[in-house]
Amino acid sequence: MPSETFSYLPPMTGGEVRAQLDHLNNEGLIPGIEYAERPAPRDSYWKLWKLPFVDHPSADAVLAEVDQCAAAHPQAHIKLVGYDSVRQGQVVSFVVRRPR
Amino acid sequence: MDTHTALFDAGVREYRDAYWRPDYEPADTDILTAFRVTPQPGVPIEEAAAAVAAESSTGTWTQVWTDHLVDIGRYQAKAYRLDPVPGEPDQAIAYIAYPLDLFEEGSVSNVMSSIVGNVFGFKALRALRLEDMRIPPAYMKTFQGPPNGIQVERDRLNKYGRPLLGCTIKPKLGLSARNYGRAVYEALSGGLDFTKDDENINSQPFMRWRDRYQFVMEAVVKAENETGERKGHYLNVTAPTVEQTFERAEFARELGSPIIMHDYLTAGFAMHQSLSHWCRRHGMLLHVHRAMHAVMDRQKNHGIHFRVLAKWLRMAGGDHLHVGTVVGKLEGDRASTLGVVDLLREDTVPADPTRGIYFDQPWVSLPPVMPVASGGIHVHHMPDLVDIFGDDSVLQFGGGTLGHPWGNAAGAAANRVALEACVKARNEGRSLSADGARILARAAQHSPELAVAMETWKDVRFEHATVDTLDVVPNAV
Repeated sequence: MPSETFSYLPPMTGGEVRAQLDHLNNEGLIPGIEYAERPAPRDSYWKLWKLPFVDHPSADAVLAEVDQCAAAHPQAHIKLVGYDSVRQGQVVSFVVRRPR
Repeated sequence: MDTHTALFDAGVREYRDAYWRPDYEPADTDILTAFRVTPQPGVPIEEAAAAVAAESSTGTWTQVWTDHLVDIGRYQAKAYRLDPVPGEPDQAIAYIAYPLDLFEEGSVSNVMSSIVGNVFGFKALRALRLEDMRIPPAYMKTFQGPPNGIQVERDRLNKYGRPLLGCTIKPKLGLSARNYGRAVYEALSGGLDFTKDDENINSQPFMRWRDRYQFVMEAVVKAENETGERKGHYLNVTAPTVEQTFERAEFARELGSPIIMHDYLTAGFAMHQSLSHWCRRHGMLLHVHRAMHAVMDRQKNHGIHFRVLAKWLRMAGGDHLHVGTVVGKLEGDRASTLGVVDLLREDTVPADPTRGIYFDQPWVSLPPVMPVASGGIHVHHMPDLVDIFGDDSVLQFGGGTLGHPWGNAAGAAANRVALEACVKARNEGRSLSADGARILARAAQHSPELAVAMETWKDVRFEHATVDTLDVVPNAV
């Protein structure tokens, strides 16, 4: 089932996800990771993996967190979120992992 | 009674005696306007500018005794500055300041009746165009503005980091409600976020509104359940009367539609503003069409520039507004369109003569409006559109979706793949203007729908000169 932004493209490679994370960092956004085993169209709140990473970690550090989340929840869809404190909302959100 | 002596200073004075005030310092609370004035031959430019100020505020053509009962200096508009227009020796930009007390709070209709009223038919002028209008914060805060705004819409629809994709259902007239719903379902299930009623779809003998709403919402819900994405159809509630408009809006809400649509210029500002307040009250998104705008905004020397019509819409309220595409089949100078997009989306817009913006415009936290690019666009335009409009926009492909040789769902998928490929490439740091064709070609390797769409529309261009070009007036304040 497609799920919003980038879901009509082939799954991203690690390098492609890293490029999107670099963009998120360049825009000054705060990255976060959410996961859900049964995503639904009306579900605004997937489970939060730890907390949004307010100290702006590197793309590689966020990717490592995605791996940890996937290892802990192998049946989950995992999405990357970017928060903008000025707009006071999410401005980036896309699924990076789907269950194998 | 003495029938030989005038009882007051009756007679006709030149407008410029009272209304041309080059020494005037505009107050922070004044509404400021920039008019392009073309006087009749022989009428001095100061007199023409003063006439506009007078006739759009306290003045009339002759002195009247009741003038003396009023503090005219407090209520009169003042023409305070004149700038030449490059290359147009018979025109000038006249700046006029209006004191705030001339206007009822929260009323676009009042602003229009005053400032773009009689004066546009004034015989001493050959032509007159309202180029821009500065709304002071004190007046702006008397308007509610857009019912929801861009971030609220994104949060409700769960769509982030990309423009939204829409499609107007065609043929715009003649489909039955059930067939119409079929076209909606195909387009939404193929990957679009929105489909749209065309502006002339109201409630005609071939398809009454209630039937259309019901079949369309069945299609929306089915497409949502199948794709896992939230979707909507702009149900046009524009109707013959105020009561019928609200009846349609209420029914759309009952059916669970997240969004309705209204034509603000043909229906009128008072109607539109009531509907916008209703939308805020009920958490309904409001898509706004602009039929009739080109009647007022296309000619360079007469009428009202669209940037002013767009400002009035943000004040009256709307969550989406059509603005032109720059690249498609409809008129729209690029720099000027970008200026309008800024006025819809930003909270503070600085004066910028290269974008046709004459005044700093603070929006003092009125929600922003999503610009809608629609009209004669197809997949080959996607890199330019993403580059020009950025993420906070709706890109609307009608023929460019439904004209796909394999049908609506394939057309929708082609546009969605093209859109996502462009956004992804842009985020990776690639230039959409330089690299667009290559980005699409690469995406098409994974999407036969996109490959076929690119082949179908490969040579379609709309290259006609723009009528309403910008004259950069360097001294704009």
